[in-house]
Amino acid sequence: MSFAIETKGLTRRFGNVCAVDTLDLQVERGRFYGFLGPNGAGKSTTIKMLTGLLAPTSGTMTILGENVNDPAKAREVKRHIGVVPENLALFDNLTAREYLTFIGRMYLLPLPTVRERCQELLTMMNLENEEKKLTMEYSHGMKKKLALAAALIPNPELLFLDEPFEGVDAVASRVLRDILKRVVDRGATVFLTSHVLEIVEKLCTDVGVIAKGKLVYQGSMQEVRASGTLEETFIKAVGGEDHAPQKLSWLES
Amino acid sequence: MNWNQLKTILWLRWRLSRNQFTRGGALNAVLKTLGLIGGIMLVVAAGIGGVAAGAFGLPQAPPNITIMIWDVMIGIFLFAWLIGVLVEIQRSEAIDLARLLHLPVSLQGVFVMNYLAAHVTFSLMLFLPATLGICLGLLCSKGLVMILLVPLVFSFIFMITAWTYCLRGWLVTMMVNPRKRRNVIVIATLVVVLLGQAPNLYINVFMRHRPKAHQTTNNNSTPAQPAGNREMLPPGYVAAHKYVPFLWLPKGATALMAGDAWPAVWGSLGAFLLGAAGLARAYQTTLRFYRGQTEATPGKPQVIAATSASAGAPRKNYLEKKVPFVTEEVAGLFLAFTRSLSRAPEIKMALVTNVIVIVVVGGMVFSNTKNAPGPTISLFIATTAIAGTFFGLIQVLFNQFGYDREGFRALVLLPAARRDVLFAKNLSFAPLVGILGLVLLALITILFHLSPLVLIACCLQLVAMFLLISIATNFFSILTPYRIASGSMKAAKPPAKVILMIILTQVLFPVLALPIFIPPTLGFVSEKLGWLSAPIVDVLLSLLLLALAATLYRLSLGSLGRFLEKREKDILLIVSHEAE
Ligand SMILES: Nc1ncnc2c1ncn2[C@@H]1O[C@H](COP(=O)(O)OP(=O)(O)OP(=O)(O)O)[C@@H](O)[C@H]1O
Ligand SMILES: [Mg+2]
Repeated sequence: MSFAIETKGLTRRFGNVCAVDTLDLQVERGRFYGFLGPNGAGKSTTIKMLTGLLAPTSGTMTILGENVNDPAKAREVKRHIGVVPENLALFDNLTAREYLTFIGRMYLLPLPTVRERCQELLTMMNLENEEKKLTMEYSHGMKKKLALAAALIPNPELLFLDEPFEGVDAVASRVLRDILKRVVDRGATVFLTSHVLEIVEKLCTDVGVIAKGKLVYQGSMQEVRASGTLEETFIKAVGGEDHAPQKLSWLES
Repeated sequence: MNWNQLKTILWLRWRLSRNQFTRGGALNAVLKTLGLIGGIMLVVAAGIGGVAAGAFGLPQAPPNITIMIWDVMIGIFLFAWLIGVLVEIQRSEAIDLARLLHLPVSLQGVFVMNYLAAHVTFSLMLFLPATLGICLGLLCSKGLVMILLVPLVFSFIFMITAWTYCLRGWLVTMMVNPRKRRNVIVIATLVVVLLGQAPNLYINVFMRHRPKAHQTTNNNSTPAQPAGNREMLPPGYVAAHKYVPFLWLPKGATALMAGDAWPAVWGSLGAFLLGAAGLARAYQTTLRFYRGQTEATPGKPQVIAATSASAGAPRKNYLEKKVPFVTEEVAGLFLAFTRSLSRAPEIKMALVTNVIVIVVVGGMVFSNTKNAPGPTISLFIATTAIAGTFFGLIQVLFNQFGYDREGFRALVLLPAARRDVLFAKNLSFAPLVGILGLVLLALITILFHLSPLVLIACCLQLVAMFLLISIATNFFSILTPYRIASGSMKAAKPPAKVILMIILTQVLFPVLALPIFIPPTLGFVSEKLGWLSAPIVDVLLSLLLLALAATLYRLSLGSLGRFLEKREKDILLIVSHEAE
């Protein structure tokens, strides 16, 4: 069985902080993987390393069967992945259509295809009426939707999405969920982080929980359901029970 | 706002600057400490100098000289002050209303606080001790009546700060929209630069055409008859001191020294009233901004959007264009880069600065040359113009990725070969360099009647220099990128290493320009020795140089591409916000 994503001893330090600590991750192809964890756990850092935005301190990463520690291989792999990074990756001075055209061309899609997909994605994300605006004038949610469209346009085999639902309106969120389901049905792999456990529970086939840079839980959604709800599993995995709100008694006064 | 809140805000300000100081690293701390010591010494020197001037210098000077000294002082102060205001606008960590007003503080309180805080600038720190020093000195030399100068000085400062605060508030309300924000900053900076260059331009371009006789009579008469000098000042100048508010200080001070107290009294009163009006206006602007009453007429954009949506078929956009001779990747990158460049106000500013510098320097050089230069010299002039084409672009070229900001992340994520990225980057600057170079060349041709051969040589040199400089700019853009605050040309909180690098690249520039001076130099030598005529040698050698440069450039792309691939993650940390 070949993995879509496999890491061995993946580590990243920022000064004294160990953001990701010897992470051994395995995600099979064709899975919908939810990567969960509290704030500052190291989710975004992991995604950045896997997508080539951040160099790991140590450890190996294999993506779609290629060792991406090698820059030449990493660039080859980039042809087959789509990414929505934590802080997005938009050009300030381009309009949405220009940006999507640019991305499409860089993935060597033929121009008619680019145009067609561009139009469909803009319509789906409800951005087609914002022609005149540069991306720097977009709202937070609009930027995110544009970044999602850019990640989808090459129809990649593997999608990395860092909090794709955060800041996105209910309609677009619904559209996005449908798109992602179809992407996985086709055989592609999706790796996403999110804090909205309801969505993860509905969509994902597998979950991993990271806390303080270490993987503390990994299992399929069936396994999770067998032992209760995802929320319970999550809280148990990150040791969140001791933060019960019996303190802050002044809130009631 | 009560006293505790005020203290908290002061603490916040101090904390912000302290954090910035301690996070900057050791070299930064040393440099800043040195700067601080130097600054304190300057302030003390200004005070002492003021006292000395007031006690011994000014009383001896004739009135029209005194008034000019004051004018110059005020001019320098106003210029420095305006630059300070602009810098303040660009700084993101200033305490602005948006970050405080959700807290339980009053609008007036924050307003007054911010207004007072705006006084803490270097220009004022120098101007105040200097002028107060002068007051003190004059008090000793001219007697007690000079005490009236003190309220005049303070009301002058009050008037200036109140009105600039008003201006600032207005600029800030304009900048709520990010695209407008960048335009405002760029235009305002440009205006100040132009104002700063204005005397230079005036003297170099216009004054030279005046007859010299006027100046000499003026000079001769100054020491001879100080009493009659008031008539020597142009009438417009005297009138200006009556009606232009910020010249009331020179007028009042000069009149006081001559024993007339009224201009100083009226000046103080007038300036104070004007200042109060300015402050009131500033407050109103703030209030309106806070209540959101500054919005432009809505509705218009929606109409446009509706029509374009109903138009149906998607229009062809710029990014879909075909680019001949290059691969699809280079084409896409080239179009995205040129599109961004054409919309970036900082690039327009670089271009305009370039033109200003060339006009000023050119004006200075050519107004000094008595006779038209000979044909051999014009070879060098033309080549110098070619080198000058790049001058204003240095900052942008040497930090190519700094202006991409978040966009650089998109480049890192792309599967494109990194040599293609570099090639497309360089290519995207080609139209800019080409247009600028050709315009300059056309000007020079008209001025010096260049022969067609020299013109051809220059075009070859332009391309050759562009290729050579691209090798250097690619290398340095990868080695020492720095973040550029959106809409400005300034490095955002640059570490000391980067400042050194910026200086180094400025120094390096003449070295990079050296090769293109080889053809005209050898042409000159050849003509002197009676071999071949200079323009022919110039063209032939330029062609050779171009071939050489093109080969070098081609060879460099591969290894620089690998260098970029190795460093791209580090560059990303720097040019996007993540390194902070
Ligand atoms: N550029 C950086 N410099 C220093 N420390 C960093 C940097 N980026 C991340 N960290 C640290 O690494 C740790 C993990 O951060 P990361 O962004 O991966 O968390 P996360 O799981 O994505 O959190 P969130 O759910 O809030 O997005 C944090 O402790 C953070 O402070
Ligand atoms: Mg995150």
